[in-house]
Amino acid sequence: MAYHSGYGAHGSKHRTRAAPDSPPLFDDTSGGYSSHPGGYPAPGADVAFSVNHLLGDPVANMAMAYGSSIASQGKDIVHKELHRFVSVNKLKYFFAVDTAYVAKKLGLLVFPYTHQNWKMQYSHDVPLPPRKDLNAPDLYIPTMAFITYVLLAGTALGIQKRFSPEVLGLCASTALVWVFMEVLALLLGLYLATVRSELSTFHLLAYSGYKYVGMILSVITGLLFGSDGYYVALAWTSSALMYFIVRSLRTAALGPDSMGGPAPGQRLQLYLTLGAAAFQPLIIYWLTFHLVR
Amino acid sequence: MSGRLSTKAGEATPSQGRGSGHKRQREPGLTQIRRAACLSRRLFIILWSRTQATEQQHPSSSVPPDTFLPASYAGQLFQPASNSGYYLHSSSDDSFDEEPPLLEELGINFDHIWQKTLTVLNPMKPADGSIMNETDLTGPILFCVALGATMLMAGKAQFGYVYGMSAIGCLVIHTLLNLMSSAGVSYGCVASVLGYCLLPMVILSSCAIFFSLQGTLGTVTALLIITWCSLSASKIFISALAMEGQQLLVAYPCALFYGLFALLTVF
Repeated sequence: MAYHSGYGAHGSKHRTRAAPDSPPLFDDTSGGYSSHPGGYPAPGADVAFSVNHLLGDPVANMAMAYGSSIASQGKDIVHKELHRFVSVNKLKYFFAVDTAYVAKKLGLLVFPYTHQNWKMQYSHDVPLPPRKDLNAPDLYIPTMAFITYVLLAGTALGIQKRFSPEVLGLCASTALVWVFMEVLALLLGLYLATVRSELSTFHLLAYSGYKYVGMILSVITGLLFGSDGYYVALAWTSSALMYFIVRSLRTAALGPDSMGGPAPGQRLQLYLTLGAAAFQPLIIYWLTFHLVR
Repeated sequence: MSGRLSTKAGEATPSQGRGSGHKRQREPGLTQIRRAACLSRRLFIILWSRTQATEQQHPSSSVPPDTFLPASYAGQLFQPASNSGYYLHSSSDDSFDEEPPLLEELGINFDHIWQKTLTVLNPMKPADGSIMNETDLTGPILFCVALGATMLMAGKAQFGYVYGMSAIGCLVIHTLLNLMSSAGVSYGCVASVLGYCLLPMVILSSCAIFFSLQGTLGTVTALLIITWCSLSASKIFISALAMEGQQLLVAYPCALFYGLFALLTVF
């Protein structure tokens, strides 16, 4: 009891002074406390005193305050680290889409042969967002297509009576690993070719994510029309995707001022694009054939 | 000798009293128990209320909630509708009887939950954006538990998957909405909206108890329910975030989220 009354008076004195020092038991709470000294108004001090007295155990009080200050510090640290690795503004560029863009882009992915103008449009050397430019890559379609693929894989396995929730996680992580490996391989290739290109990691992620649309179409056709339908859809979507990637990457990598002519860097980049395009049908087949039996 | 023993016991240990000191020794023990119960109850209330931060200012609560928390905590702590003089009592023992009822202190308002549920159940009625200003997680958790319970009755004990997928799905949709819209949303708001729109999925899973959904009828029903859920959720998101021309774009991720639950329910 003597401890309680002494500590309580000590704590209340701190509050009325409105400049709280770190309590003797928890040294780390001074960061959370001293940053907002104005949070203890004078009339609130009496309330705080009675609250302190009411709770009967200021240790719990301090523990709560400690926990909440640690939580807010943790949140700030997470935000800071995240902003160091991922620039949110650049990422927001890839999600600035609307329904018309998504519809047209999906049509382009399935039938790219009649599209004439593949160049990306720039305004003052800054690429236009996907809302305004059909040729700009976006990350909304690849993300949605990836998740739809995982769900479809679950459905297909469920129809074959092979479903369990762990299988969903397995499918998702396998596909994710393949995407990362492909993006890393493309980054490595671009680095080795020492090509100055406008393609950032997010661009490569977007272009390698577009294959999931083809995968979804193949799986749906396979589920509806059997194995033959699957192979036909596979052939169609693979060729469309290869054409799309070759045409897009060739013009996307050029940048706002296009240097025409086959410089050696350009040739290496062309081979890289062709290699990436040829890889697409293989990976589509690898990730979907076990779903359609 | 027994008298001396009893007095010695009365002085030293309060638990073993006999004779005249009996009643006096029992009282401090009881008071300590009551005090401990009071403290633990208050700790629980405070910790629970922290999960339900509201953005509305309730004019009836006159106690500034940040007097015993650092002011870096931005949310409102309590929403007690009455008892403004609650904290000005001086003794801790008497206030046990004068405290507000538990549900009121916790901020669980069944009337509000019921009204929000009715709003969700009718996807054709336009919603006002202010409905989701209070991030109330009680209704969503209730619906998740109901979903898990109906799945259990259908023979699948998958509570862990339900909670895990709802947490991860809420995180993904929260990230997506923050990247797609100019105004941001908080995680609590997203979790609250998605949780309330989970109610039709509970209906689907209770259908699965009586007949198997693995057939054409089951697939069509599941697709209908997914559309219902995602239309409600996207309607509320659109009105709360004022995103024009993007309702289908917001509805599709919600449809994928509810599709996950439908997968769990059907297969």
